[in-house]
Amino acid sequence: MGIIDVNHLSKQYFIAKRQEGMWGAVRSLFHREYITKTAVEDVSFSIEAGEMVGYIGPNGAGKSTTIKMLTGILVPSAGDVTVGGLVPYRERQKNARQIGVVFGQRSQLWWDLPTIESFELLKQVYAISDQQYRKNMDTFTEILRLDEFYQTPVRQLSLGQRMRADIAASLLHDPAILFLDEPTIGLDVVAKERMRTFIQEMNQERGITVILTTHDMADIERLCKRMILIDQGRVMYDGGLSKIRDRFGKSRILIVDLEKDTQLQVQGAELIRSEGNRKWLRFNREEITAAQLIQQVSIQADIQDLSLEEPEIDSIIRQMYEEGLSVG
Amino acid sequence: MRQLRLYLEFSRKAFQRSAAYRFDAWTRLFSNVIFLFMWGFIWFALYSGKGDVEGVSFESMLSYIVVSQMLQGVHGAGTPLWEIQERVRTGDIAMEMMRPYDYPTRSLFSDFGNIAFHFLTAVLPLYVVLFALFDLQIPTSMSQWILFLLSAVLGYLIRYSVELTFGLLTFWLMETGGVEDIFYFSISLFSGSVIPLWFFPDWLETLAYFLPFQGIFFVPNSIFVGQLTGQALIEAMLMQGIWLVVSYVILRWVWSRAALKIVVQGG
Ligand SMILES: Nc1ncnc2c1ncn2[C@@H]1O[C@H](COP(=O)(O)OP(=O)(O)O)[C@@H](O)[C@H]1O
Ligand SMILES: [Mg+2]
Repeated sequence: MGIIDVNHLSKQYFIAKRQEGMWGAVRSLFHREYITKTAVEDVSFSIEAGEMVGYIGPNGAGKSTTIKMLTGILVPSAGDVTVGGLVPYRERQKNARQIGVVFGQRSQLWWDLPTIESFELLKQVYAISDQQYRKNMDTFTEILRLDEFYQTPVRQLSLGQRMRADIAASLLHDPAILFLDEPTIGLDVVAKERMRTFIQEMNQERGITVILTTHDMADIERLCKRMILIDQGRVMYDGGLSKIRDRFGKSRILIVDLEKDTQLQVQGAELIRSEGNRKWLRFNREEITAAQLIQQVSIQADIQDLSLEEPEIDSIIRQMYEEGLSVG
Repeated sequence: MRQLRLYLEFSRKAFQRSAAYRFDAWTRLFSNVIFLFMWGFIWFALYSGKGDVEGVSFESMLSYIVVSQMLQGVHGAGTPLWEIQERVRTGDIAMEMMRPYDYPTRSLFSDFGNIAFHFLTAVLPLYVVLFALFDLQIPTSMSQWILFLLSAVLGYLIRYSVELTFGLLTFWLMETGGVEDIFYFSISLFSGSVIPLWFFPDWLETLAYFLPFQGIFFVPNSIFVGQLTGQALIEAMLMQGIWLVVSYVILRWVWSRAALKIVVQGG
């Protein structure tokens, strides 16, 4: 029994088919056809108190749907969920007191209120004592520099500021469990790093159990020992990060801007994309170094600019399919 | 008790928020006055050349329209149907569902805040002037005032329950506008907001009597202009009480079903 237990969890969405024309509209009053979309399929996992787990997968994998079921917003189509011993959708309000939630794509703060007033409202909503409120606000303000925008209405905050405000808001009532759905989406490098530092501190110092969804590998590498990888609603992998990285994280992509469009002939790398003067070369860093590759290219053409890319989670998953392997 | 403090905090915040959108209040009031004059002239035309109609003088009728328009001005500051639809459409309903409070209650208390602001800054001053300017009928005793106020509050709560119930049907009928049309049609006809029930043909009056809508405007309006007194008044208010209980129970039931059915858009 973990603090979060998920057993054979599934969720289907029923999307009403639009009927064409007038007759269709009349007919749809009596009979509707639905398209069934399975967003989460037979997912099981268990998370211990104090863990920080990356729930990771490409867009549309079913991450948000899972989080919504854990928070009690959505009712599962099949399977069981317990969070801190509660069934979230049955005891929604009680569950709300033990969890904090951040949806990266949507603010939980009140749009027209100055940021600080949103916090004060939450103080009332969760019946937070003056002492606890002051203590948390002091800590969060110091790390997240909330004081820079206390008086600014939420709708006027930059994305980075809004995320800082949102994550602070989610922790005001000292929840035992924190759900973060894409907490770094759209943030610049500095803001991402600040966010990651904060999340790590909350997990380590306060022992808050964290589930973090993302499609950014860097988030996971920085924060999580364990990751649950899902794709098309199914769990593909659940375990340590290092194994995945060793197995699939060896490929790198070199992007070069050439002086003029040239047919490149390179060994130990694969040309995966070409757009005019810009070329994408995928290579395995155990077979060839970036320096060797660059040298090969520079013999054939003048390089104007270049950059190296780590594999995105999407490409790791694609690779898992291509190589027909599952780890773990 | 702690819960009440929490909900009142939402009233307070809504009040402040209204203050930030003062302009809205004034435009709403402007259209409210336009409608007041429109209905005033229509009834003036209908009464021309006649004395009493169905035992009601033009003066009473005009007072009825004015007080009705005043109450509608108050009601206009809270729009639970529109709000729930908007929250479902945008997916913001998720934010309400993950809080340790009850959405229908918190939404009601937010509306109290909006109403208080709108009433104090716009509706009350305007209607005090109107009642003073035109020689209209107002309650003649303290008890009539109190009964009117009580009845108006009951009416508001009935409308809130019925309107939110209709709004929640959005959970089942995501893309049909039909549900709200039924609501708006019913409330404009059966509530007595513009045509008092006493002018209805008998069969329609009987029908209206058995619907919750007449408790929204017709009963408090009639008490205000002195058309509803004695035994009939007590019965009407009792009926309001019953309708409030019934519509509230239905609201709770629909809400508990809707909360399980909910599909959150986006994110
Ligand atoms: N409200 C909804 N109605 C219908 N389909 C949905 C809804 N929400 C999500 N989906 C579909 O379910 C799948 C999983 O979505 P989601 O859980 O949001 O994925 P992720 O968060 O991993 O990007 C997607 O194919 C998405 O299109
Ligand atoms: Mg998502």
